[in-house]
Amino acid sequence: MSAHPGGVLAAFLHEDAAVSAIRSLKELGYKDFTVYSPAPNHALMEAVGHKISPVRLWTLVGGLVGVTSGFAMTIWMSLDYPIVVGGKPIPSWIPYVVIGFELTILIGAIATLTGLAVHILLTRKAAAYDPRFTDDQIGVFVPCPTERRGAVEQMLNAAGAVEVRVAA
Amino acid sequence: MTDGMDRRKFLKVLGVTGGGTAALAGCSTDDVAKLIPYMVPVEDQIPGVATYYASTCRGCAAGCGVHVKVREGRAVKLEGNPEAPINRGKLCARSQASLQATYHPDRNRSAMMRQGEGLAPAEWEAALAEVATRLQAAPAGSVWFMHGTQTGSLDALIGEFVTAIGGRRLVFEAFAHEAVRHASRETFGRDEVPLYRFADAQYILSFGADFLETFMSPVEYTRGFADAHGYRDGRMAKYVHIEPRMSGTAMSADEWIAPTPGSEGTLALAMAQVIVERGLGRPPADARSLRAALASFTPDLAAQATDIDAATITRLAQEFAAGPSVALPGGIGTQHADAHRTAAAVNVLNYVAGNIGHTVEYGHGLRQGDGYATLREFTVAAEAGSIQVLLIHDANPVHASPSALNVSGALGHIPFVASFSRFQDETSAWAHVVLPDHDAMEQWNDWQPRAGVQMLLQPAMAPVFDTRQTGDVLLDLSRRMGRTPRQATYKEYVQARWADLQRTLGDRAPFDTFWRNALQRGGVWTEARPATVRLAAGATRVTNPAWAPTEGQLTLIAYPSSTFYDGRDAHVPWLQELPDPVTKMTWGSWVEIHPDTADRFGIMEGDVVQVTSAQGTVAVPAYLYPGLRPDVVAMPLGQGHTAYTRYATGVGVNTWSLLPGEAAVFGGAQHYVSVSLTRTSRHERLAKTEGRNRQLGRGIAQAVTLGGIAHGALDHPFHVAHAAPVPEREEHLLDEVAAAQRRATDYGPYALRNTRWGMTIDLSRCTGCNACVAACSAENNVPYIGAEQVRRGRAMQWIRIERYFEGGEHGEPLETRFVPMLCQHCGNAPCEPVCPVFAAYHTPDGLNGQVYNRCVGTRYCGNNCPYKVRYFNWYDMSEPGAPKFAWPDPMHWMLNPDVTVRSRGVMEKCTFCVQRIRGAQHRAATEGRALVDGEVRTACQQTCPADAITFGNMMDPEAQVTRTAADPRGYRVLEGLNTKPAVTYLMKVRHLEEA
Amino acid sequence: MATGKAPQPTYAEITRDIAATLGNPGKGYYALLTTAVVLFLAGAITVLLEVRYGLGLAGYRTPVFWGVYITTFVFWVGIAHSGTLISAILYLFRSAWRTAVYRTAEAMTVFAVLTAGLFPLIHVGRMWYAYWLIPYPNQRQLWVNFKSPLIWDVFAVSTYLTVSTLFLMVGLIPDIASLRDKATGWRKKLYQATALGWRGTDQQWRHYTKAYMYMAALATPLVLSVHSVVSWDFAMAIVPGWHATIFAPYFVAGAIYSGVAMVITLLVPIRKVFKLERYIHEDHFENLSKLMLLTGMIVAYAYVTEYFIAWYSGNPFEQASFWNRAFGDYWWATWTMLICNGLLPLFLWSRKIRRSIPALFVLSLFVNLGMWFERFVIIVVSLSFEYEPYAMGHYSATWADWLVLSGSFGWFFMWFLLFAKNFPTVSITEVKEVIPMPRKGGAH
Repeated sequence: MSAHPGGVLAAFLHEDAAVSAIRSLKELGYKDFTVYSPAPNHALMEAVGHKISPVRLWTLVGGLVGVTSGFAMTIWMSLDYPIVVGGKPIPSWIPYVVIGFELTILIGAIATLTGLAVHILLTRKAAAYDPRFTDDQIGVFVPCPTERRGAVEQMLNAAGAVEVRVAA
Repeated sequence: MTDGMDRRKFLKVLGVTGGGTAALAGCSTDDVAKLIPYMVPVEDQIPGVATYYASTCRGCAAGCGVHVKVREGRAVKLEGNPEAPINRGKLCARSQASLQATYHPDRNRSAMMRQGEGLAPAEWEAALAEVATRLQAAPAGSVWFMHGTQTGSLDALIGEFVTAIGGRRLVFEAFAHEAVRHASRETFGRDEVPLYRFADAQYILSFGADFLETFMSPVEYTRGFADAHGYRDGRMAKYVHIEPRMSGTAMSADEWIAPTPGSEGTLALAMAQVIVERGLGRPPADARSLRAALASFTPDLAAQATDIDAATITRLAQEFAAGPSVALPGGIGTQHADAHRTAAAVNVLNYVAGNIGHTVEYGHGLRQGDGYATLREFTVAAEAGSIQVLLIHDANPVHASPSALNVSGALGHIPFVASFSRFQDETSAWAHVVLPDHDAMEQWNDWQPRAGVQMLLQPAMAPVFDTRQTGDVLLDLSRRMGRTPRQATYKEYVQARWADLQRTLGDRAPFDTFWRNALQRGGVWTEARPATVRLAAGATRVTNPAWAPTEGQLTLIAYPSSTFYDGRDAHVPWLQELPDPVTKMTWGSWVEIHPDTADRFGIMEGDVVQVTSAQGTVAVPAYLYPGLRPDVVAMPLGQGHTAYTRYATGVGVNTWSLLPGEAAVFGGAQHYVSVSLTRTSRHERLAKTEGRNRQLGRGIAQAVTLGGIAHGALDHPFHVAHAAPVPEREEHLLDEVAAAQRRATDYGPYALRNTRWGMTIDLSRCTGCNACVAACSAENNVPYIGAEQVRRGRAMQWIRIERYFEGGEHGEPLETRFVPMLCQHCGNAPCEPVCPVFAAYHTPDGLNGQVYNRCVGTRYCGNNCPYKVRYFNWYDMSEPGAPKFAWPDPMHWMLNPDVTVRSRGVMEKCTFCVQRIRGAQHRAATEGRALVDGEVRTACQQTCPADAITFGNMMDPEAQVTRTAADPRGYRVLEGLNTKPAVTYLMKVRHLEEA
Repeated sequence: MATGKAPQPTYAEITRDIAATLGNPGKGYYALLTTAVVLFLAGAITVLLEVRYGLGLAGYRTPVFWGVYITTFVFWVGIAHSGTLISAILYLFRSAWRTAVYRTAEAMTVFAVLTAGLFPLIHVGRMWYAYWLIPYPNQRQLWVNFKSPLIWDVFAVSTYLTVSTLFLMVGLIPDIASLRDKATGWRKKLYQATALGWRGTDQQWRHYTKAYMYMAALATPLVLSVHSVVSWDFAMAIVPGWHATIFAPYFVAGAIYSGVAMVITLLVPIRKVFKLERYIHEDHFENLSKLMLLTGMIVAYAYVTEYFIAWYSGNPFEQASFWNRAFGDYWWATWTMLICNGLLPLFLWSRKIRRSIPALFVLSLFVNLGMWFERFVIIVVSLSFEYEPYAMGHYSATWADWLVLSGSFGWFFMWFLLFAKNFPTVSITEVKEVIPMPRKGGAH
C-alpha cells in the first residue's frame, strides 16, 4: 500500500478490547490513529468520538439547487418559446412542481455522494492495513516514531489485541 | 356568401384558361417526371400557382361541370364548377376520387394487340391498320359498335361512323331505367325519364328511387332535396320513402315505409284512388277519366297486398295531395319483373295530384342506353355467328350484366373484337386489339346531359400515357377505310358542331369568342321549355304489379352501389376504402340480413353465408341490418371483378351472377330474385369502419321534430351559454402569442388578429353521401390502407360520416342519423397539453395545429381526443417501395403539393385545410387587404352537394359561420367536456306528423 | 434481529458464506441465463422489425393507441418500487429484518427500472427521435412541453434509475472491499477497481453512514413520487376510467404490492441455489408477505372505490366504462385482475401460508400476473370504450406484442442473473452490522 509513516498496527477480535485500546490511546494523547472495522460499529464510533459528518450540508444544498433549477428551467423554457396548449397559461407552475421535485431528489442525491467522496478524501490518512479488517477483525493503526513504539505495543497487547506488529 | 369565392375562382379561370390550353402541348409528362425547370416558361403555368380548367365530369351521365386544379402541368384536384347548371359547384364522392383513375398504375399505357393468349403493347400504327383491314373485310351488317351512354359530338361521330360502315350500334348502360321509360311511353307517350324538381316540392315521396345515390343525377337531386328538405325558419318539406330496404337515400327520410317487395305500385294506385275519389289536389281536367280505372284499387285491398294499413295509405294520399309534391319511381322500386306497372302507377299518382309539368317535367330528353333487351339481341346475334367485328367503347357488359346472359360466351363467338377501354377489364380481356381512349382530363369533347345544356371537356394536361381520343381514332379509321371526313381532328369536329350550335342559339359573335367563352364557363346552357304532357291511352290500363319470391325463399334485392355505380369505379382505391353510406363496409361485398331473419338462420354478423338463386350461388359475409323487411335480403352490385386492375380484382363477389338473364316485359334486367341462405362454418371480421351503431344516449347526433320546434323545444338558453367559441383566458393568451409571432413574421398567417376559424354542419341537410370524405382525401393526400388494416381499425380518412340508428326496436320506427365527424379544433383541446414535444399546439388563429415533423409518435393525443379524430401512420404509406406504399407511379402525380405526405410513425388529422387558409391569407396579404368572409372554403365544404357546411372566422360577427352557429339548433358534440369545439352542429329536424 | 433461533453466524462465517455465493452456481444457473438471453434476443429482433416496418406489427388501432407495451412499462416500473421501499424506507424505520433481503430487492429495482425505461422508447412511432423528449438546445429551436405527463415521466424515471443505481452501488462498496480482500484472479482486479479503495476506517464509516441515511431519506419520497407520476399519465387524461384522483396512491400501493411479489419470486430460487437458508428464513418471508397482504388490501380497496365512485358520480361515461370492464368484451382480463389481486392475497391472513415458502412462491406468481392485467385493464379496456360510440374498437395483441413482452422478462433476468453471479445478493456488511461483535465479556 501507499507509503505511510511508520507505526504500530493491532488487530482485535473483540469490540470491548478495541474500545478500551482506543480510550487508552486517547489518554496517551494520540489523535491521528486509524480504526478499521468490518461494519459500522457504535461503540467504536463513540470511542473515537468524531463530530457529525458534514455530508448532510451537501444534501441540503443539492436539494435546494435542484428545486430552484427545476422551476427556473421549466418557466424560462416555456417563456423562451411560448406555445399555447389546451388553453393553459404558458408558464403554469403547478405541473412544473413535478419537475422541481424530481430535480430536488436527483441533484440532492448526486450532491450527497459527491460530499461523501470529498470528505472521505479530505479526511484520508495514510495508514497500514490488513485484509482481515474487512472480514471479522477490528484494526487500530497508531503512527508513532520508533522510540515510542514499544510502549504502544505493550498498551495494545494489554488492551487485548489478538496481534500487534510494527508496520514500518 | 359563396359568391365571393366563386367569383374569384371564375375570374381565375377566365384569366388563364382561354385558348391557353394550346400551350399545354409544350408540357409533356417528362416535365413532371424529371424535374426540368421551365427554361421557356409555359404560358399559363406559374410554378407553385394552381391553374384551373373548366371541364366536365364523366363519372356518370349526369354531366357535372368541374374545375380541374392543375399544378405544374398535372391535374391534382377536381372541384365543382359553380357556373354549371347541373351541379352548381358541387361534386359527388365518385367524381372527387376519379383522379385516381386518371393516374391509375394499371391503365392501358399504349395500344395493344393480341399475341397468343394475352395482349401485348403494340404500335398505334399497326393496331389501327389491323382494325381498319378487319372492318373493310367484314361483310355489311356484321359490324357492331357497343358503347356506354354517349351524347353530343362523340355520339354523332359514332353514328356517322357506324352508318358509313353499315354496322349496328348498341348503347349499353347497366341501369337504363327501362321501366320508367316504358311506363312514361304508356302513360304519357314519351320515351324518357322525367326531371324531378325537388326545390318546388313540399312533399317528397320516393318509390324506391335512390335519387341521392345513383338515380339519374345524384348531385343535382341532392342539392334540390336539401333545399326542399333542409330546415329553414320553421319550414321544411316532408320526405317519405317507400322501399322494402332502407337505402342510403331512405336514411334521410322522415318516414320509411317498407311494403311487401314489389307492391309499391299497388300503394301508389291506392293513393291515386283516394285522391281521385275525394277530389283532393289540383288534378288536370282529364284526370277524371282515370276514376273508373282506379276505382277498384281501394286502400283496404291495397293494405293486404302491401302490408301497410289502409289508414296510413289514406294519410299518405292526403299529405301527398295537400301541397306541391313529387313522387319518384325508379331505382330498386322499378327493377323487378313487373316494375313497369309500378312506374306507371306512380306516373298516374303524380298526374292526379297535378304534379306533372310542375315538379315532374318531361321534355328534357333524359335517357340512358338502349336497354337490357338489346343486349340480349346482341348475345343472340353473336352466338348465331352474325357478328364479325365488335367495337367496344366505355362499356363492360361482361361484368355489369347478369352472368346468366353469358355475354362473355357471346364474345367468344366474335372473330374480331376491338376495345377502346382505358383499363383491362372483363370485357376488354376478349379484345384482339385495344385502342385505349384518353381520360376525361386529357381530351377534347362535349357532353349534353339534357336538352338545352351543352357541356365542354378540354384537356387539362398532357396525356399521362400513350393513349388517343376515340374520336380521333374513329376519324383515323375512316380515313384508312378510304373516306375523307370533313374534319382532320376530333377537336375540329367538336368545334364544327359548336359552330352549328352557335347558329341555332342565334349568337352573332365571331365563333372564336363564342368558343372561348364556352370553354371558360365550361359550356353553354339555356333553360329548356318542359313539354306539356297529357294522358296516353295506356294510362287507363294501370294495374297492380306482381312480384312474389319462390315459396319459402327470400327476396334478394340487388341494388346499385352508390360508390361503384355498376362496378366501373371499383378500381379506385379511395372508393374501395370509402365506407358504404349504409353499412360502413369497405373493400368487399356483403349480404344485408334483418337481425330477426339472421336469428332464424342462426347467422351472426360476419358469418359467411351462401346466397343461392336459380342462376348461381355466392359465399359472402353477413351484415345484420335493421333497415330491411325480414323477408328481404339485399346485396350491392359492382364488386366481384375477375379482372379489373390490382384494386378491384378478386374483391367481393359479383351479385350479377345471381340475377336472371331474361329481360323483363319492359326490356330491363331484373334485380329482384328469390334466394335461399345457408350458413357456412367460415367467419370474417368485417372490414367496416363503424364501432357501435347506437349512440348510447350520448347526444352525438341530436335531432328535434318540426312540431317540437314549434312547441319551443329549442327555446331554452342551454346552447347560448356554450356559444363562446374561445375561453377568455385563452383569448388573451393567444393575443400575446400572436403578437410574439407577428414580431417574428411580419406578414402572412399572423397578419390577421384574433381569427378563430370555425365550422358549422347542418345535420338537417347532410345526407351522408361521403362526398366530403373523398374530397378531403383528394385535397389532403390521405392514403388508403387496404382491407386488412381497415379490419384492424386503422382507416385514415380525416373526416368520417358517423351513422347512428335510433329506434327500430319494440315497434318504434327505425331512424338514421348522420354526423360528419372531423377534428373539432377545440379551444381547450385535450390533445394539446399531453403532447411532450408540442407537435399538437394551438395556433393564434384558433386552429388545433399538428406539426408532423415534430411528432415522435407517443400517440397520447389520440388517447386523449374524445372525438377520436386523430389518425396514426402505423405503416409507411408514403415511402416508394414500402410494403404499404399508397401512391404507385404515376398515382403520386396527383398528390397535392401544398400538403405534406405524412411518413410512418406520426399522428395526423383534419387541419381545416390549413393550406387553403394560408393560401388565401397570403393572397390577401399580397393584395394588401383583409380576408373576405367565405374566401376560404375547406375541401369538404366546397364539395358538399347538400351545402350543409359553412366555414369562416367565428370572431367576425358578420360572418355567415358565426350567424349560423348562433342558430338555436346549434350544439357542440360532447359539450359537457368543456373542450370548446370550433365545430357547431345544427340539429337534424324530423318532419313527423305530430300527435 | 427478528430471528431467535439458529446460532448466529460469526463475522468470518458471514463473509465466507456470502462470498461462496459467487462460486460456480452450476448447470441450473446457466440454463436460466441462456433462456433469458434467448427471450431477450427474440424481443430485440421484434423491435428491430418494428423500426423497419412500423408499429403496425403490434396490435394497436384507433382508438386503442396504447397497448401491451405501455402496460408492460407500468408493470416494470411498479416492480421496481418495493426494492427501494425495502432498502430505503425500512432502513429509515430501522427494521433489522430488511438486511438479509434488501440487496436482492435493490438490484431488482435497478434492473426493473432499466427494463421499464426501454418501453417508452419502444412504443413511440419514431423511436429514433425519442431523444426529442429531453430538453436540450436544438435546431428545432423548441423546448419540451413540461405540461405533458410524458415529460414528467422522463424526469421521474431517469431520476429513479440514477438514484436507485447510485444507492445500490454505495451499499455495495464495503461488501466489495471485503470480497476484494478474499478474492483472487480477475475477480480481485474487478473488486479492487470497484471497491474504490474502501478500508472501513473510522472516517470512512463516519461519512458513509450519514451519506447512506440521507440517500435513503431522498429515495423514500422518490419512490412515492415515481409511480404517482406514472399514474398521472392516465389520471391527467380525460379518458373515462383514467381520470381519477385516486390514481396516485392506488398505483403506489399496487406497485409495492407487485414489487414485493417479485421479490419473493426472486428470493425463493436464490435462497435455494446459493444455499442462503441460514441468512434468509421464514421470518423474512413472513414479513414480506405481511407487506404484500397490506398493500394487497389497499389495492383491493382501490378497486372497490373505483367502482363505487363510478356509480356514485352519476357520470354516464364513467359508469358505462366500468360496466364495460366487468361485463364487456374484456371481462376475462378484469376478473383475472380482481381474483389474483383481490381474492388470492386473502390467504395471507393464515400464518401457515405466510411461512410456507412454496405457497408464497405460487401466490407471488399469481400476484405478478394479476398486476400485469390490472394495468392492461386500466389502459386497454378504458381506451377501447371511450366517448365516441362510433369510434369504439376492440384491441387484440399480436405476436409482436407478446415477443416484446417476453423479451422484457429476458432482459430483466439476464441482468439479474449476471449480478447475482458476480456481486453479493445479501449484504455482507449490513448482516454483520445487526450482529453484535464478540466481546471479552464483563467490562463495559
